Amino acid sequence: MRKRMMLLLAALSMTALVAGGCANKEAVKTEEPAAATVKVEQLKPAQQPGAKSEEPAAPVENRVAEAIKPAEAQTGKAVEEVSAFEPIYFDFDSSDLRQDARNTLTKNAEMLLKSKPATRIKIEGNCDERGSAEYNLALGERRAKSAMQYLITLGVQPERLSIISYGKEKPAVMGDDEAAWAKNRRDEFVIEK
Amino acid sequence: MKTTFRLLIFLLLALPYQSFAQNDYIEVTAPGNRQLKLAVEAPRNLDTTTGNTVATEMADVITFDMNMSGIAQAETRPQSALSGGRLAETAFLPWTAAGFELLVRGEYSVKGDNLTVEYRLFDVVNQKMMTARRYLGRTKDLRYFAHAFADEIMLALTGEKGCFTTHIAYVSSQTGNKEIVIMNWDGHNLLQLTRNGSINLNPDFSPDGREILFTSYKRRNPDLYKRALSNTVEVPVSSRKGLNITGTWSPDGSRIALALSKDGNAEIYTLARDGSHPIRLTHSEAIEVSPVWSPDGTRIAFVSDRLGKPQIFVMNSDGKNVRRLTTAGAYNVNPRWSPKGDKIAYARMQSGGFQIYTINADGTGDTQLTSSGSNENPAWSPDGRFIAFSSKRGGEAIYVMRGDGSGQTRVSRGKGSATQPAWSTR
Repeated sequence: MRKRMMLLLAALSMTALVAGGCANKEAVKTEEPAAATVKVEQLKPAQQPGAKSEEPAAPVENRVAEAIKPAEAQTGKAVEEVSAFEPIYFDFDSSDLRQDARNTLTKNAEMLLKSKPATRIKIEGNCDERGSAEYNLALGERRAKSAMQYLITLGVQPERLSIISYGKEKPAVMGDDEAAWAKNRRDEFVIEK
Repeated sequence: MKTTFRLLIFLLLALPYQSFAQNDYIEVTAPGNRQLKLAVEAPRNLDTTTGNTVATEMADVITFDMNMSGIAQAETRPQSALSGGRLAETAFLPWTAAGFELLVRGEYSVKGDNLTVEYRLFDVVNQKMMTARRYLGRTKDLRYFAHAFADEIMLALTGEKGCFTTHIAYVSSQTGNKEIVIMNWDGHNLLQLTRNGSINLNPDFSPDGREILFTSYKRRNPDLYKRALSNTVEVPVSSRKGLNITGTWSPDGSRIALALSKDGNAEIYTLARDGSHPIRLTHSEAIEVSPVWSPDGTRIAFVSDRLGKPQIFVMNSDGKNVRRLTTAGAYNVNPRWSPKGDKIAYARMQSGGFQIYTINADGTGDTQLTSSGSNENPAWSPDGRFIAFSSKRGGEAIYVMRGDGSGQTRVSRGKGSATQPAWSTR
């Protein structure tokens, strides 16, 4: 015990001796990441039900749950109405409109001009799971834009059309074969409220 | 108040062997170096002789970190009567006889929720202490303290501190939605950051380590947000029409590079850190995404398909002097500049999946690092020693490997898919 105290004292005095030297500066630096870590860990109780500081976390989770419901409801409604407008499909890493896509777009344009003249639609561009997520966000946008430009050339007013890309984040079907990929490389036409 | 309450105090013992620490660093970048044999003895509980599970966990953390480092072959060892009693009485001969060159010993004490740990690293061949640290904190910090001492071991052996106390943020689908989560680098202590129930993508740590930049669809458009790790407020940074994606901080934290499609198609821009003052850097009909800064802030690597398929290009950070970096492979994405500036890690699509490559910043030395499963989104550790990436080998999880591709190890443990890792600063 005494021996250990002596060692500690010796160690501490040595630290004091090099105070101002680089070793000491380093020691100060050492503690910054520790503080950062503690900050991160402070958030932890929000995740652990039963923990003491859980009270603020619970309302947050409720809010999230409420927020999800209307979103889901709206998506569900959208899906119903989407069926009025057929989706179009693309080749891999391409935003060129194939003949089948042009035919579908012609039908969609007729519907927009004749039976639904007041409807606004959002064109949602999507990709299959193979490309990179980041690049696919841009590719999905290019696909949505291809459809929008074609609808405009068919006479649909530009102000009735908007676009969004979901990249590969919203696949229509799950699966990792060409059948699934082909269904996911698509534009969907969602009626906007 | 709370911060004070949780403040940790570190008592740093002196380093009497600085001459060793300064002059005799091991050349760790040279391939084929023999690994040092390191024994990590389970720390001794000063209060009781029972309850060694905690001691083993502490030792295992150091063993894991040092094995991952690649410079030591570490082994957790039970407490041995042969190794001497208290730290000051450490016996070296039994360890050299067992073939070890380095030894970590420790002592700890638990009083209620308070934990005190002292670790020492010994060079058992030369029979001397190389470094020592004492940590005072909470029992929940026991893994953190072991990581912190592993950082000190790296400093003593290589002259550069380890990064074993850092974090990895990534995109997790464990809730059913894509949310940003954060974990310790070794996969422990998983914490969900975003809870907006939308799609959240591409986290990136600010240089000071306090904020995360990410893209979220929470307002029905892919907008760029930032949030501090210390609170839950998600601050909009860029909500321009169209894409506001793949944001990354400049090394000095003053600007943000990202891809915007407000002018028609995805182009690279930089913004002030509050999202104002956009400067457009690229002008092409093609897709441009994923800008990343060189560590000195003078250059930006990015992905463009201006030649048909996505390839990696490099330009000055003012948009001038654009040149193609990757010339092999038909589809190269996800560039990440190494912290030392010499290399760029990226992912190449080949035979149906992705593999991680590194290439020198001048375009030479293109090297494949992974071959098992499909591997994407490389992210360097702040010391450049490791690369985290997402891998589909069965499920989709976060893996860590050394910068040369060795030591590939799964670290994420959460449910659901784990993608798009970002490594925190130190």
